Amino acid sequence: MTFEEARDYLLQKARALGLEAEVLATHTRELTIQAHGGKVEEITQAAQGGVGVRVVVEGKTGYAYTEERTPAALDWVLQEAHENALLQSETGGFLPAGGTLGQHDLLGEGLSAPLEQKRQAALSLEASLRADPRVRQVQMTRYSENETQATLGSTQGVSGAFRNGYALLLTSAVMGEGSSLKQGYEFDLAKEFHALEPGRTAQQFLHHTGRLLGARPLKTGRYKAYFEPKAFAQLLGMMGWFLLSAKNVLEGKSLLAGRVGQKIASEIFTLVDDPTLPDGLASRPFDAEGTAARRTVFIEKGILRTFAHNSETARKMGVENTGHAARSYKGVLGIAPSNLFVEPGAGVQMDSGIVVTDLMGLHAGANPISGEFSLQALGLKVEGGEVAYPVENFTVAGNFLELLTRITALGSELEWNPMMGIVGSPMVEVAELSFAGA
Amino acid sequence: MLDEALVGDVLRRARQGGADFAELYVERWRRRALRVLSGEVKEATSGLEYGAGLRLFYGTEVVYAYTNDLSPQGLLEVAETLVQLKGQAGQVDALGRGGLDFRKAVAQGLHAPQVPFTAKDKRYRLERLREAEAGASVGPQIKQVQTNLMEWEQEVLVATSEGTWAEDRRVRTRLYVTAIAQDENGMQTGVMGPGLSVGLELFDRYPPAEVGRRAGLQALTNLRAKPAPAGTMPVVIGNGFGGVIFHEALGHLLETTSVAKKASVLSDKLGEKVASDCVTYIDDGTTPHGWGSQEFDDEGRPTERTVLIENGVLKSYMVDRLGSLLTGYRPTGSGRRQDYTFAPTSRMRNTFIAPGTTPKEKLFEGIEYGLYAADMGGGQVRPGSGEYNFAVKEGYIIRRGRIEEPVRGAMLVGKGPESIQKIVAVSDDLEMGPGMCGSLSGSLPVEVGQPHLLISEIVVGGQA
Repeated sequence: MTFEEARDYLLQKARALGLEAEVLATHTRELTIQAHGGKVEEITQAAQGGVGVRVVVEGKTGYAYTEERTPAALDWVLQEAHENALLQSETGGFLPAGGTLGQHDLLGEGLSAPLEQKRQAALSLEASLRADPRVRQVQMTRYSENETQATLGSTQGVSGAFRNGYALLLTSAVMGEGSSLKQGYEFDLAKEFHALEPGRTAQQFLHHTGRLLGARPLKTGRYKAYFEPKAFAQLLGMMGWFLLSAKNVLEGKSLLAGRVGQKIASEIFTLVDDPTLPDGLASRPFDAEGTAARRTVFIEKGILRTFAHNSETARKMGVENTGHAARSYKGVLGIAPSNLFVEPGAGVQMDSGIVVTDLMGLHAGANPISGEFSLQALGLKVEGGEVAYPVENFTVAGNFLELLTRITALGSELEWNPMMGIVGSPMVEVAELSFAGA
Repeated sequence: MLDEALVGDVLRRARQGGADFAELYVERWRRRALRVLSGEVKEATSGLEYGAGLRLFYGTEVVYAYTNDLSPQGLLEVAETLVQLKGQAGQVDALGRGGLDFRKAVAQGLHAPQVPFTAKDKRYRLERLREAEAGASVGPQIKQVQTNLMEWEQEVLVATSEGTWAEDRRVRTRLYVTAIAQDENGMQTGVMGPGLSVGLELFDRYPPAEVGRRAGLQALTNLRAKPAPAGTMPVVIGNGFGGVIFHEALGHLLETTSVAKKASVLSDKLGEKVASDCVTYIDDGTTPHGWGSQEFDDEGRPTERTVLIENGVLKSYMVDRLGSLLTGYRPTGSGRRQDYTFAPTSRMRNTFIAPGTTPKEKLFEGIEYGLYAADMGGGQVRPGSGEYNFAVKEGYIIRRGRIEEPVRGAMLVGKGPESIQKIVAVSDDLEMGPGMCGSLSGSLPVEVGQPHLLISEIVVGGQA
């Protein structure tokens, strides 16, 4: 049975049983080629997909999933989801009404290069890195690609499908100069294999990691901070998104609860999520419940406009659904961004402070419930408008909401980062933050 | 689960690029999870997972692919892609040695459930969880109780180009209770989580109310516990889950995954004395209904009881197929993987220190001042050095041979190979405890175990 046939079979059975049901099927194909020591060390080819069912009975919601698409397996899934729903105590569940959403191909032929070229991409990235004598060890070099097809349907009329994917070059290596050693990583991500250039990725690695060699200790103090896009995107992807999710607001975990309409950030700060960007790596024509995609401005010139909602949170809070429902076939309904980004500004003029190039240990050192963060960072000391020298062994700490109010300038160029969702940011200048070092 | 002719075709096709060996792993899982918090169902999920992994060996080079399109086209396509990816690396052997004359081995049902999952409805399960919750409410300080029930049914087929054909069925059930106690001084937790290769008779072997009660009592003990002292002192480690220390700090060092790369401090030490005389360490995949038991490993080899250390002397490692090729040691039925998305590596099953002869009470005699680590929590190990740190979940001070006041926050710190030299006495009360072990080939059910034992000195990291 194909995924579409499985969906139609399940919906027909559900109607016959008088159940409201929603079926989400996803199918992912992945290829990973790992190079090491001038040879292809590991190749993984994977195809994985499944069908997840959400049913609502008497206002109670139940879930079940299957990777096997036979009538027996699909019948089992429907019955389990039904029984799981009846066990729940919470009522008020419902499935949103919808319509035909069409078939969309956001990927096209972007990944259809010959295997040999992909293998060469991984090998040539590694070789370019090794050509620099400062590279002591290349720990990992990888080409990988991902192609996902999602199919959605419900007894309430929703029906649609889309396909998306990406190609990725990734490396992690150690550079050394004298006794100074720095481990760094670099990636390049695109919707087409041919948009990747191993030579460019290698140069970026050598620049980004090489400039940190010979780092000196940083004196503890308060400094102006210049977050590079990669560093700010990580902070935003983790802390910012957590605060904006209506699910967290309803569970009493978000510090932003009750603050819609208020000024929560600097007036130059605008935060947008746009699933309709033509080249967006996380673009989608509709969300996991079939709500059509549209651009959402979460923070406009410092003012909080809305939280991110799915149908359930929007109804509970009595507001408009922003179309941020997310669900894997194995999981339950949640909330996720698409292409989340900070609108670029007029540019940053550096005078003195610290350029924060990378942050580490976000899962342990950043607490989105309290908004507090204390993170190990890498960076550069800026003096008299110029980068003076690299610095190391320090942490940067503060409160994320306070940081948002102290943003004094934004860079003019947007860079995308895939580390914590697909998050875009320009360089972000923050008036003053606490740095702990020597 | 799959037609024999199709399996033969896939294995033959897979070897056409010159691979010496091809293995097809097919599985079907049914999983259910039920989570109840303060009487209310917070999570009830069911899933059916179905997929196949294809592994090819070119000498000791391995390529792996997986799919859950198990149609003939889907499987043959995977074989085709692997061959293409690898390139024509060796001699093309179109006929394929073996691979057609399968020697079929089917599980005997040694760990088969007595009360199958279909025998009871979901209400029945919910009632048992509510009993566990009621059992955990041992005092007004117990503020919150969470109970979980996990049910797994896994059918597995492993077929190889050498003619192996093994079918296994694995059924596992686990109950997990977390009790949270709170008073004006803070919040503490107690947990109890029995699990076995059984069906719903788990509730007969471990009555839910009693499981809950033990979790509740542990939370209360920790609530009145004082911060643990710091220093080097003799430590008695409790039986059952206390064995987690040696699972991490010794067991992982005996897997060929690290031994073959010389990444283990215990590499190349067969026949050598590595522990004190009273230590016999065994990894047993055959324990009836053990949480980590199965009739075949995930490479299709019958599991066995492997004596790793006997009276202090290293007798065997845990060996999978690749480990055997790399080291020359005989495979021990230790190839395991979380599911079809992982290639197997050498892993533990039910690993324990064998019972000794010292009565438990004698262990404490003569200890002027020490720590009794009655129950252990999680920890970390670096296999290259054997360094470990483990949290004590329930601990007491030993003073002049007597178990006295409870302490919390104690951390045991040391090096595995040194600590096993310092085991001076082992009692006779062997017990096992279930856990999930994470490593290269994913997260797997294992049992850890030991009798009460005395370590002459160990560094205790505490607060006071």
